[in-house]
Amino acid sequence: MTSNTATVTDRPSFENFRRRNQALGKFSQTLVMIALVGCGLFSLAVTIGIVVMLATQSVGFFYNKEVAVNFWQFLTDTRWTIGQTQGIPRYGIMPLVSGTLRITGIAMLISLPVGLICAIYLAEYATSSVRSVLKPVLEILAGIPTVVLGFFAIKFITPWLLQPLGDFKTFNAGSAGIAVGILCLPLVTSLAEDALRSVPNSLREGAYGLGSTRLEVTLKVVVPAALSGIISAFLLALSRAIGETMVVALAAGSTPTLTADPRGPSQTMTGFIVETFQSESIEPDSIGYYSMYAVAAVLFLFTFTITLIGQLIRMRYREVYN
Amino acid sequence: MNRFYSTPRSEVKRKSKDRFFSVVCILIAGLVVLTLLTLLGSIGATGSSWLNWDFLFAEHREDNPEQSGIGQAIFGSVVLCGLCAALALPIGVGTAILLEEFQPRNRVLRWLHWLVQLNINNLAGVPSIVYGILGVTAFVYMFNWFPSITPNDPPSWEIGATHIYQVKTLGGQYVKFVCPDKNESALRVTEPIEAFDDAGNTFMINVVQSRGDAPGDPVLKNRTVLNGKLTSRYSEKTWYHLHLPFGKTVLSSGLTLALVILPIIIIASQEAIRSVPDSLREAALGMGATRWEAVRNVVLPAATPGFMTGAILAMSRAVGEAAPVLAVMGGVMGTTNGLTNLMDKSPVLPVLIYKWAGDENAGFENLSAAAIIVLLLMLLVMNSFAVWLRNRYEKKLA
Repeated sequence: MTSNTATVTDRPSFENFRRRNQALGKFSQTLVMIALVGCGLFSLAVTIGIVVMLATQSVGFFYNKEVAVNFWQFLTDTRWTIGQTQGIPRYGIMPLVSGTLRITGIAMLISLPVGLICAIYLAEYATSSVRSVLKPVLEILAGIPTVVLGFFAIKFITPWLLQPLGDFKTFNAGSAGIAVGILCLPLVTSLAEDALRSVPNSLREGAYGLGSTRLEVTLKVVVPAALSGIISAFLLALSRAIGETMVVALAAGSTPTLTADPRGPSQTMTGFIVETFQSESIEPDSIGYYSMYAVAAVLFLFTFTITLIGQLIRMRYREVYN
Repeated sequence: MNRFYSTPRSEVKRKSKDRFFSVVCILIAGLVVLTLLTLLGSIGATGSSWLNWDFLFAEHREDNPEQSGIGQAIFGSVVLCGLCAALALPIGVGTAILLEEFQPRNRVLRWLHWLVQLNINNLAGVPSIVYGILGVTAFVYMFNWFPSITPNDPPSWEIGATHIYQVKTLGGQYVKFVCPDKNESALRVTEPIEAFDDAGNTFMINVVQSRGDAPGDPVLKNRTVLNGKLTSRYSEKTWYHLHLPFGKTVLSSGLTLALVILPIIIIASQEAIRSVPDSLREAALGMGATRWEAVRNVVLPAATPGFMTGAILAMSRAVGEAAPVLAVMGGVMGTTNGLTNLMDKSPVLPVLIYKWAGDENAGFENLSAAAIIVLLLMLLVMNSFAVWLRNRYEKKLA
């Protein structure tokens, strides 16, 4: 009986302790939530920061004290002469866009088919022993820094692969394109392979049961079922190729040209930005300085739109299997 | 089987197509392997003979490629990498916890949640050079909120730096003094000021009008300055030296690289949290833990190896990243004093590789390849560590 009364007298203090502890816990939880929400908003702030920065600084390109650049001229003029001293300055972004598209085009011609075939091979055909070789090879390739691929492009692809084939200059769009293609390849392969693997086996078995060959199962059942994933992989690779900088800065040269010829030098949007940053002669508040932001804004618009479309395709058209 | 059923023509065709495609697959896969081997082989052939012990510790030398090395660049890369991981890891893990563990029920908040998630995937697709420009605007110039830094004048806001003026006395020695007005780059001594010499003695400078007035006593002569004598200024900086705006420094590059790897860390941390089985969470919640207690005491410890793996992979991305560093710090190949505080510049491996690869003079190509070998070995070590970590802790949880 005595022990019973003891618990009765003890209970209130225990309850008090618990209540206080809960209050403390709630308080610290609120603090933690504020910190976590702050982290989450930080990433939004980075995006907003990029957009605001590009927008406000690009305005300086079109309205500044040196020279007023016409927006229409910026989009359509066929020459880009910032950084060159002689002649009348021309501010048309077309040559830079052309350089980017040329190199991206070559890169996509290489990485999309090769990447998709590798993905199909890994997901549908390869034995585990082949996988254990090919998978690490692709992972190593994915981990190679882009500046290393730039080195490879300028010191190997140009002199040993392209120059024996034709009249390729020291700096050319072809070698940069091939190197960027090599860069995008592991990305395409791994994303497309994930998409192919997420197709349930019941679909494959159904098709096999109807007497299809492996190729037919792959091309007529698995690939269509994984199409949204494959397309978003392609789009991610595309945006990666457009934004690639170091390969282009090393191998493609620094002459903006408006052609489709892969043998000559070309400057891309990214190449121009890096070139401008490096040259000490560009001062803040000058036309050369603002031109960087204008070019970066166009670049950001390209990549952001493509990534966004890729995201939305993946979210909306993802086939859900149970 | 075929003895009893004649094979239709179309089936032969279909099967040969299938076989043809698998041959194509094998050829393409072989091509990929060959590409990697060529890449590594050509770099090895160009660089391996230049790789030696001195190369790892020497500095860049414009005139003499044979004596050049990557000592400063390795140190710079390591510092930069640690800096950006220290900055990006807490924010990245915090965002991942928010996205995975605290999914709101409120409609507006859910929309915001979705927006943050979409935004992170988009940030991962932003080219690194755009982050470089952001770094230049936000960290190097700080939106021009502060007066910009010129090479001759000290920044308007700084800590950890003492600006010391020194002046030659009539005795031929230099005496030093600290002037409150640090913005004067060409200060002239016109009146007696408190100064000190190399031995640490403090005294008042004696100002005379002409050389003829110089005192005979050599000690006094060493404390006597001609009126209007021009001083020179130098700065002593401590390890915590900091100024605003940050300028083209290691800190600016670190902050920029932190932004570059932030989405990678967030995505990897989300995966790590998702891989913690729900049963653990439910057990904790069932015992009366609050949501945060369950996260802190159960989910986070279980997901920590995953966080670390993600962090290491993100760091290995940062180590190889050249474009943002090139934009923020410029193509630094070497500094005279090395890296002593965060307001210094420093070469880093990828930038040095880029500069050397672009140099047409003989020898720099080999240097570049040798530096690439070191960089790839660093990446190999980091990635192996990440894989080891993953394998080791994956088993424990299962």
